[in-house]
Amino acid sequence: HQVLRIVPQSDEELQKVQELQGLEHLQLDFWLGPRGLGLPVDIHVPFPSLQAVKAHLEAAGVSYSIMIEDVQALLDEEQMEMLRSTRQLPLNTNTFNYEAYHTINEIYNFMDMLVAENPNLVSKLEIGRSTENRPLYVLKFSTGGTNRPAIWIDTGIHSREWVTQASGVWFAKKIVQDHANNEGVASILETMDIFLEIVTNPDGFAFTQTTNRLWRKTRSKHSGSICVGVDPNRNWDAGFGEAGASSSPCSETYHGPYANSEPEVKSIVDFVKSHGNIKAFVSIHSYSQLLLYPYGYTYTAVPDQQELHEVSAKAVAALSSLYGTQYKYGSIITTIYRASGGTIDWTYNQGIKYSFTFELRDTGRYGFLLPAKQIIPTAEETWLALKVIMEHTRDNLY
Amino acid sequence: IPESGHKYYLHFSTEDYRTGEDAGNCLATVLYPKKKSPPVVSIKCSHTKDQKEIQEEDNRLYQKMKHQNKPITGNNIPDSYGSIELALEPVWALAVAGSSSIMWQKSTETLGYFLAQVKSVRQWIRKDDFIEFDYTVLLHEIPTQEIISCHMRLTWLPGHPLKVKHFCAAQSHALDEGSGAESGSAAGPAAEKGANF
Repeated sequence: HQVLRIVPQSDEELQKVQELQGLEHLQLDFWLGPRGLGLPVDIHVPFPSLQAVKAHLEAAGVSYSIMIEDVQALLDEEQMEMLRSTRQLPLNTNTFNYEAYHTINEIYNFMDMLVAENPNLVSKLEIGRSTENRPLYVLKFSTGGTNRPAIWIDTGIHSREWVTQASGVWFAKKIVQDHANNEGVASILETMDIFLEIVTNPDGFAFTQTTNRLWRKTRSKHSGSICVGVDPNRNWDAGFGEAGASSSPCSETYHGPYANSEPEVKSIVDFVKSHGNIKAFVSIHSYSQLLLYPYGYTYTAVPDQQELHEVSAKAVAALSSLYGTQYKYGSIITTIYRASGGTIDWTYNQGIKYSFTFELRDTGRYGFLLPAKQIIPTAEETWLALKVIMEHTRDNLY
Repeated sequence: IPESGHKYYLHFSTEDYRTGEDAGNCLATVLYPKKKSPPVVSIKCSHTKDQKEIQEEDNRLYQKMKHQNKPITGNNIPDSYGSIELALEPVWALAVAGSSSIMWQKSTETLGYFLAQVKSVRQWIRKDDFIEFDYTVLLHEIPTQEIISCHMRLTWLPGHPLKVKHFCAAQSHALDEGSGAESGSAAGPAAEKGANF
């Protein structure tokens, strides 16, 4: 299909063009109809009629130019552009699609939009850089004060656990909405800050998008081995290197050459230590539907075991109340298995009493490949449990 | 049980994989002997589903897959976003059933599995009534967190038990590449520190 342009110079030429309008069988589509001498007439001509139209014009000595040589090609290109641009630029966090999985850039773009839309509540901190030099961003939600007691939430530390990063994005928006509507966590924000690291392992996340959807670890390289990556949930300084992690670089639970060898871990350690006032720490994983508290590296129960167990029971009940999703809870070592060098074992030992880990949906049917339509229900129910933990922390500050 | 091993008493319910409806209860005892031999299992289940209904569903599934002009093939089921093409659902269902047999054989008192993804599937057209598929399935191993790649050949005819042959890649110091088969070594010559037990 082509689009021809004719600029009638005389009444005869104008008449010839107008004749074309009458020839219905040609199925011409006038983008710009004949209006007068010297004014362009643009005709969209379907392929079967091209010969006839050109012949008609040439026979009458009416000159024309081909404005668009291939309409379909243009349409195809535009479609691609549209797809590309809807992927790249939701206009704001209200048009952002929370029901889909996103790329790192889309999530970083989301964060910037959220900050831009809510400059008095949200700020973005860069706490470090990953092995491959990607920025490690943390969103800070604060209504003021100086170094208020805070809650930390991280998602995506294991890159293949996609529902967690997706939930993190949803949580960020939820916090802003609650604050705007003066409900939910608005009251918590009166006296506490919330820190949220959505893409805690960006190198791994990028790798799951480009190369291996089931990649778990970081992407650090180690001399003496062709294998890549350290398990960021075995790299913390709590029972580091003991039973419950692997010393083999090729293993999925490789603890790394030494504690905090991974910048993704070290940056959080440094942040927590320098902040000094974090009162609750929640690290989010998938899958298994569990709420866990320390320890993973030892059978010794934490001193606050009873309280943590009770809070877990309440949190899990709140979670289930929404869609009936069943969770189990308990200490890491008694509920799943021994795991050393884990995040919340370290944070607990730092004095952060309310240290919890979630394992989100499901229980193995889809596992890591949780269908996108479950993102929002998962985030919604998890949020209820998080609120229980946050409220308990606020009401039991220490 | 001193001198004998560990004995587990299980009471569990089952549900239809597709619909989630209750499919009955089972009572079982599983004895893991001290030596590394497969467990001794005794099990008794009650079935809530009607045999005839099961047969009809099997036949429907079978008909869908038998009457293809081209062999069915597929990759990455579910895909990265958790979607399964409608047309590939029967093939996925068979993979779930077949890999459960692999997982059953591989699991131990301390090692369990889930089906992470069907990496690829290819149908082999047969002259007889059986349908046959070649699969590469990825199993998620707990607690090691490893992704094990297994090749599975599955043959089936309704009314007959599923025939499954499999071969799982040994864990090795292989490169991690794009194929998605996550390999890693669970053992070196030295004693594995994180035995993951």
